[in-house]
Amino acid sequence: MKEVPVKVEHNNQWIVTKLSVGDDRIVFPAPVSKEILFKSVMDLAEKKNVLIITVKTDTESVYKILSVEKVLQILKKLILASCNAYRLMAYFMSPAIRGGVLIKDAQWEKGSIVVVRSGIWFTSATKQICVPVKDVAAIELTKRDVQGKPTDVVRIDHVETGEVASSLVLCPLSTLQVLYNYLKDTTKSMDMKGTELDGIDQQVAMLVYSGMDSHAIENMLNIPHKQLDAIYDKILKLSLAEVVTIRREIQLTTKGVRYITDATKTQTN
Amino acid sequence: MGKILIVDDTLFMRTLLKNILFSGGHTIVGEAGDGEEAVAKYKELKPDLVTMDVVMPKMNGIESLKAIKALDPAARVIMCTAVGQEQMVKLAIKTGARGYIVKPFQAPKVLEEVKNVLAS
Repeated sequence: MKEVPVKVEHNNQWIVTKLSVGDDRIVFPAPVSKEILFKSVMDLAEKKNVLIITVKTDTESVYKILSVEKVLQILKKLILASCNAYRLMAYFMSPAIRGGVLIKDAQWEKGSIVVVRSGIWFTSATKQICVPVKDVAAIELTKRDVQGKPTDVVRIDHVETGEVASSLVLCPLSTLQVLYNYLKDTTKSMDMKGTELDGIDQQVAMLVYSGMDSHAIENMLNIPHKQLDAIYDKILKLSLAEVVTIRREIQLTTKGVRYITDATKTQTN
Repeated sequence: MGKILIVDDTLFMRTLLKNILFSGGHTIVGEAGDGEEAVAKYKELKPDLVTMDVVMPKMNGIESLKAIKALDPAARVIMCTAVGQEQMVKLAIKTGARGYIVKPFQAPKVLEEVKNVLAS
């Protein structure tokens, strides 16, 4: 086993330790004193430089490891290769589209797709990309031109730091269908059945998606502020959006009017 | 900053693109609602760039792109289409499109693509 320097969260404190890493397990020395078999890992997530590992034996435990990128890469590679997850070998392109614009130099990469409880991991010799399930906006079985032929692919739309990006997965159709069904099931909580918006509401949502602000939306759709406000309420109630800014409209008081009048006089004199 | 012709059969998409491009400092020199009108407007207005919808009545975006390229081989055209029609990408690029955007799109990325194509 190799030893790597890490910080591990123990009793709500970060402690410096040396983690022993083997082919099928990691071992935390005292005071954590715990051995984790990769096959017992149910979930793997990453936030900045912290790896969050959920392990299920008799009970479920969560371990947080903080380390440099190189160490985390090795850990992720080992865990994703053996953890308890839906896994398949495939070609992927992530991201292929960002903000609706095709990325021209995007390439198909040979690797694997690992679906854990909280995310979809794309891993290859050089990449480890995680799309959290909560950020998945859509999953679609679609066609893509590959080497001159229209080919079935699974397209995963996800929100990445406020931008909508799309990743593509390519593998034999039967596997693709299984992956599609599995991902659809995993992200079922995001389904919108029964909560669809009507025509103008959809247009407003589309304009928000495109980055338009309230003022631009009112002008483009020629609707009064009150109507837009009501549509925003509907969209917010469906948890399709969140409030980021509350803009105020103000009216000058008598003092303000006097100030402006005086200021204008000074400028024109 | 460029002079842009927007081609789309829906007023909503034309208005959205117009707003996005205007906010990026571009000048919208004209709009067209189908491929035929796009070719006529291209001849008349000589824009620096065209955003071209793919699925349109009368003449579709690919045919219109071909006609514009026949008039001006250096024409800069960005194709614009809905989700699920990405297989048109290769055909459009082969025909001479400089870029491709997929609806729905986000304003900053559209402006970035327009900037790149104008600089090419």
